[in-house]
Parts: sequence; structure tokens; C-alpha cells
Amino acid sequence: MPGRILTLLLLALVACPGQARTATAGIARIQAVGVELRDVKVQLRWPAGAEQGELHIAAARIEAGVAGYRFRNVDWRCPVSRRPQGAWHCEGPLRADGAPPMRLALDLSAVTTDALLSSGEARASLHRNAAAPDSTELELTRVPIAWAQALLAQAWEAGRITGGRASGPVVVEMPAGRPLHAEARLAIDALSLESTDGAIAIGDLDARLHVDFRQPTGAGALVAVDGSLRGGELLYGNTYVALGGAPVRLGLDAMQRVGGGWDVPRLAWDDGDVLSIEGAGALAGDGSVQAFDVTARSRDAVQLPERYLSGWLGLAGLAGLGLDGAFELAARIDGGALSAVDATVNALTITDPRQRFRIDRLAGTLRHATGAAVDSELRWQGGALYELAFGPVRLPMRSEAGTLRLREAAELSMLGGQVRLDGFSLRPPDADGGLRIGFGLELDALDIGALAQALGWPAFRGTLSGRIPSARYADERLDFDGGLSMQVFDGRVDVDALSMERPFGVAPTLSADLALHDLDLLGFTEVFDFGSITGRLHGRVGGLRLVDWTATAFDAGFHTQPRPGVRQRISQRAVQDISSVGDASFVTSLQGRLIGLFDDFGYRRIGIACRLENEVCRMSGLHSAGAGFTIVEGAGVPKLQVVGFNRDVDWPTLLERLAAVASGDVAPVVD
Amino acid sequence: MRRLVGMPILFALALCACVTINVYFPAAEAREAAREFVEKVIGDEAQPSQPAPEAAPPGDGGMALLQRLRFDPLVLLGIGSAHAQSQPDISIRTPAIQAIQSRMESRFNSTLRPHFDSGALGFGGDGTIVVRDASKLAIKDRVAVNAAVADDNRDRKAVYREIAVANGHPEWESQIRDVFAKQWIASARSGWWYQQGGAWKQK
Repeated sequence: MPGRILTLLLLALVACPGQARTATAGIARIQAVGVELRDVKVQLRWPAGAEQGELHIAAARIEAGVAGYRFRNVDWRCPVSRRPQGAWHCEGPLRADGAPPMRLALDLSAVTTDALLSSGEARASLHRNAAAPDSTELELTRVPIAWAQALLAQAWEAGRITGGRASGPVVVEMPAGRPLHAEARLAIDALSLESTDGAIAIGDLDARLHVDFRQPTGAGALVAVDGSLRGGELLYGNTYVALGGAPVRLGLDAMQRVGGGWDVPRLAWDDGDVLSIEGAGALAGDGSVQAFDVTARSRDAVQLPERYLSGWLGLAGLAGLGLDGAFELAARIDGGALSAVDATVNALTITDPRQRFRIDRLAGTLRHATGAAVDSELRWQGGALYELAFGPVRLPMRSEAGTLRLREAAELSMLGGQVRLDGFSLRPPDADGGLRIGFGLELDALDIGALAQALGWPAFRGTLSGRIPSARYADERLDFDGGLSMQVFDGRVDVDALSMERPFGVAPTLSADLALHDLDLLGFTEVFDFGSITGRLHGRVGGLRLVDWTATAFDAGFHTQPRPGVRQRISQRAVQDISSVGDASFVTSLQGRLIGLFDDFGYRRIGIACRLENEVCRMSGLHSAGAGFTIVEGAGVPKLQVVGFNRDVDWPTLLERLAAVASGDVAPVVD
Repeated sequence: MRRLVGMPILFALALCACVTINVYFPAAEAREAAREFVEKVIGDEAQPSQPAPEAAPPGDGGMALLQRLRFDPLVLLGIGSAHAQSQPDISIRTPAIQAIQSRMESRFNSTLRPHFDSGALGFGGDGTIVVRDASKLAIKDRVAVNAAVADDNRDRKAVYREIAVANGHPEWESQIRDVFAKQWIASARSGWWYQQGGAWKQK
């Protein structure tokens, strides 16, 4: 209709070519094809005999209700000229409050209207034909997508377009009494947008999209998007997707609900072998997922952590996690929470970059549901926990009432022995609390030599066995009931009150009480390269606390106990080494300088204790001896007595020197 | 009457039976420890107040030998006697806590500080870091910063716990967390944001 008014004005003026004319029209309201103009002033001046006149159109307000556009104080001036066959052409600057300066060119004929809007490199041309009055054709060339901000706000109020340009044809149909229909085939370059809270964002995304948009009156919009995405990045909550160079095919159908939010009957995402997703569900008004059924497949998971999982892995402290293999996963989200998972895994190797764990060739199924019982079974071919390798395992599981349990005990080989896991149950984090795990553990003849080698300890030999009837993990704390027993040095070390805090987290902590029973001291001293002592050793390490696998506190005491048939001898080297640990002096019948004359000595008792606290080891021995404490009480001739004097010893220095003694870096010094 | 005479004694006995020994939380020492820790992490502008009392430097062996005029093999090995540490103040000098502290310090300088300056991050009221306004971060940074915040909050949790445990009172964990929460806010630089009573405020 505005075109027709303009044509009438032009015709009226040009009908009287003899003299200069000015025609002015003031129109309170013009309404046409979904656009409303208010307080419109049209002025046309045509000097006498001139080839062209001047057109000035000003509108106080222009509103395109359906598309959500509102402009104020729109002003367009242009020289107007005649073209053949009764057509008119006018091109000039267009201004509106808050909009960048633009140029508008208009060609009017009896049948067609053509407009070309340009601003910088952006051009949008519009074509209308009187023969098809309901249809408007647009052709976009590098148009800022921010021009569609108002359109986006209709669908998603919190969305802000911050960059990107679009090119391609758009056809808008507005038949009277039928829904608005727009169809676009767009090439999008460097799209950026984000929600006001920053939780949803797109950055630097290139895309080729076919968009179909319908807006029935009185109902929500229907959108169908099909096309491909390339490059750029997407963020949705904690999910961060870094698209590579290869195009990702995207398909999406969405229907806006009248009360807000969207139904999504079709979502398809195809990133080749890395990840393909099919799903359907519903989103809330703020963009959060209310319900979704989704199937995800990865035929080659190597790139999956980097391209799709980095956001979640970073949060979980697993940044850089390596995946290799394939899997398929079906999941259902109900009421915003995960309600069912059905995963099929095929030879998936999982590697922690910080070497805390590794699982080789995980395969089988994992099913978990909050409702009825479902069975599944996982297997792996091997793996490692910290430096400790373990063998293959079969884990038959049942999920019932939100808890995942082992249907039967699982056995795996580790350190040359067997580990048996029974009564395993796992409850994922939910409204009632965080992750909870419970299990029973039985260790049978684990090789301590292999353990020592893996952990870089001195070359202990022996076996580790024991049963922990129940262990519980909750709130980052692992508690063990029952105890373990190590058969070492022909004796036994019992481990009790075992617990761990943050087993896989920051500064893992291990607490335990150890009791040493009847260890062969000769084997013990040989392992530590600590001279040689024959006899039997007893003792305890109470309140042991390792933080980051380093001892920070304990109350330890060791002493010998005579056993029939066992000689109690101590070598010269061992005397030196004990002295260095206990800060001791030789007293009584043997002078320091005489010690070098003998290879070994008989002893009656040896006892040394250390209470570690605040990096200080408070030492004591068998009993007090004047200002010091007796560590070695000799027997026979020559009679030896070793007495310590420094009761408080700096622990890190002590450790360093112990290591030096053990590695033979420090030669014993005899004065 | 005779029975009544016995009552006060019974009453006193009952009172005695109820007596429990309280170990009071050393709030002032905890504040000082928290201040030292937090200033070290946040770094440069403010100076840590006093150099900490140090355990024995390992190199004092020779002198000790002369002074004591006594054979001391430990001294030959270079082990000096450690200074006994007085008991109930709050110690933050265990290797585990110091390792976490230096990791937090480098993370703060490499990743977190500019986002406190920009207002993207703020200190929560519970001694953690909170992403206050993600839109101030580039999309890729958002992921890295979220991960750094999660890592830092895990470290913080471990620090509060380990300080309590290292000082022999695991039950002090929540009090130590509260002291630290106040200290992070107190040490925050001008312009940084913090949470108080659920609302954001700018320092």
C-alpha cells in the first residue's frame, strides 16, 4: 500500500509538467504486510522542467509486529526520476534512531516493487510483485545477523547476537488469514551470539542452513533448520563444543509452546565418526533441558574429549582425559535429571593424563535406570591404578531403584595375586547427595615386591593378603572396615583403621594403623642397605597419615624381642647408620674410635621410636640415659651402647639423609 | 531432713559428671594463618606480615659440633636439631598445604586474577570462587576458567580440611573455612566482587 500511495503522488505531480510543484501528504497510520507506519509525512518536490524531483519520507514510528522490529524517527531522502514504462527510481540515505547509516534504493513500477538497502558491505534487496501480493522475496549479501536481533528475541528473549553475516535468499509469505511463512537458504559467516547470563553461546561459527519458519497467529512458532556447521565453538552450560574443519550436519525441528519453552521433536547432529546424536525432547523457557531422549554414537572417540567433553572433564578435574575406541549411548532426561542410561562400549581405552588410572579395552554394556531393574555387563582387558597394573575383569551389574550393583563377585589379578570385589554398589549423585560407592574387598597373595617396585619403594619382598568386608566411599572419603595383613620378612604387618580422603582428588590422604609382628631384621636391614642386624623386630606405626603419599604424622615405635635360636648381632655399619638416624653417641665401655676394630657386636635389645608431628620427629629409645635415650643396649664383650641425644629432629632432613645412607652416598664416619 | 542434706553433694557430683573439656578454636591464630596464606596466593600488592618462624636450617652442623663438643654422627650427616614448635597455634606449614598453596598462587596469577579484575569471578561467602558473570569471558576462556575455578575450589576444600587435620582438630574444618572465607574477602583488591548474604557486592 505505501508503494501505491507513492505511485499516485508521483503520477499526480508529473501529470502537470509545466510548473514547479510540491506535494505533501500526512498520513496518521499506514498498515500493510505486517508492517505498520505511524505519523508518516511524504513530501515530493519537482522543479519545473527538471528531469528529477526530490522525495522526502519521514515516519515517527515503523513497527513490524510479527518480526518484532521497531524503528523511530525514520527519515529517507532521495532524488526521484522517471524510468521507461512508467517506472520510478529513487535512491538516497536512510536514517533511523539507533540504526547505522544506510542507503535505500527504490524502484517502483505498476507491477513490481524493488528495494535495495545497503550499509557498508551489507546489501539486502527486496522484491515484490503485484501478481503475488502475499509474497516478498529478499536477497541478502553479507547482511549483519544482528539485524535479526528482534526476530531472535521473539523466539529467545535472552539471546544476543554479537556478530556474523548472512547471505542468501529469503522468501516471506504473508497470506491473509494464514500463518506467516519464511524460508531462507543462508550462508552464515562467523556467527556469534550468547545468552545474557553467558551460559549459552556460539562463537565464530560458519554455517550453511535451510531455515523454515512459520508463525501461526495465536500459537507458537515452528522452526525447522537443516544444514551444516563448520569451525567455531558452541557452549551450552558446561558442554563446550569446538568444531573442527570438517562440516557437521545439523537438523532441528522446534515448536514454541504457548506458555514459553520449546518442544524439539527432532534433533540430529552428525560429526562423522567422532559423534552423531539423534534425539527429541523439550526445553524450558530459559533454554534448559526439561526432558530429552537422546542417542549418541561415537565410532572413533579419540577426538571426543577435545571437541565435546572438555567442559565437563575440566570441571571433574580430568582435563586431557584420553579416549580411544567406540561406544553408543542412549540416555533419557526427565524433569531436568538423568533417569536412564544405556551404553554399549566397544574396546574403549580410557587414559588419565596424570597417570592416576588407565582402563584398557573396556567393552560390554552399562545400563542404569531410576525405575525397574536392568542388567548389564562390562569387561576390560586390563588397566592401572596409579602405578599398579591390574588384569582383565568381568563386571556383571544390575541397576535397580537408582543404585548400580554387582550381580556377582568380580575377580581380577593384580601384583601377581588376586583381588576379589564383592557387594559393589554405586549410587550416582542425586538430590539426596553426591556419589556413594560401597564394596567388599579381598586380597589374596599380592606380591609386595611388585608393589614396592611400582611405587619406587625399597625392594621389599613378601605378600599382601586380607579381607575388607566393607568399604564405603562418600563425600570424597573412602573408609575401610576390617584390615589387611602383609606377610613380609618372615613376619606379619597388620594394617587397620584404613581410610582415604580425596583418593583421586587434591592431595590424596591415607590413614592407617600398622602393627609389626616378628619381622626378620636381617631381611629388613638388607632391603634398606642398612648394615646388617640379626634378630626379630616388633613394633607399631599408629595414626599414620600420608598426604600426597608422603608421611605427615605417625607415632611409631620399633623394638627387638629375643627368640630362641636367633642370634642378636649388629654390624659395625648398622651401628653407624642407626647412630645417624637417632643422633646418637657411643658410650660406656666402647669409645667411638674403637668401633672400627670390630666387624659386629652382640646386643641385648634395640629400640627406637619416633612421633612425627609438624615436620618434627620426636625421638626416643629403649629408656632414658642421662640427657639422652638408649637405642642399642649391648651384650657381651665388647659391650656396645648407643645413646641418642637430639630428641627433636627435622623430618625432611632426616628423610634425605636416610635416603643417602640407604643409597650408600654417605660413608659412615668413625671418629 | 537428713536426706535433703545430701542433695547438694549429689547435685555437685552430677555437675562434675557433666563436665566436658572444650578445646577452644584459636580464632586469632587462625585469622593470622589465613591472612598469611591468602596474601601469598593473591600476591604482590600486600606484603605478608612476618617471616615465619623456621625449622632448623640443615646446614648448621659444624657449629653445633663445636658448641657441644660431643661426637654427633647426625651432625656429620648434616642433621641439626629441630626447634620444637609450640603447640596450639594454627600451622599451615605442612608440605601438602604448601604444595597446594603454591599451586593456587600460580593458578591465581596465570588464570584467575584478570577475571577478578574484570568482575567475571567473585569470592563466594563460603570460601570458594564463584563465576559471577560468565558473559565477561570469551567462550573458550569460559571453559578454561570454569575448570580453573573447579580446580581451585577443590584445592580450597582440601586446604581447609588439611589445616584442620594437621592441627589435630578435624572438627575445626568448618570454622577454618569460615575464617578463610572472611579473609579472601578482606584481602580482595579494590573493584573485586564478593558475596555477602547471597548478594554480590563490589569492593
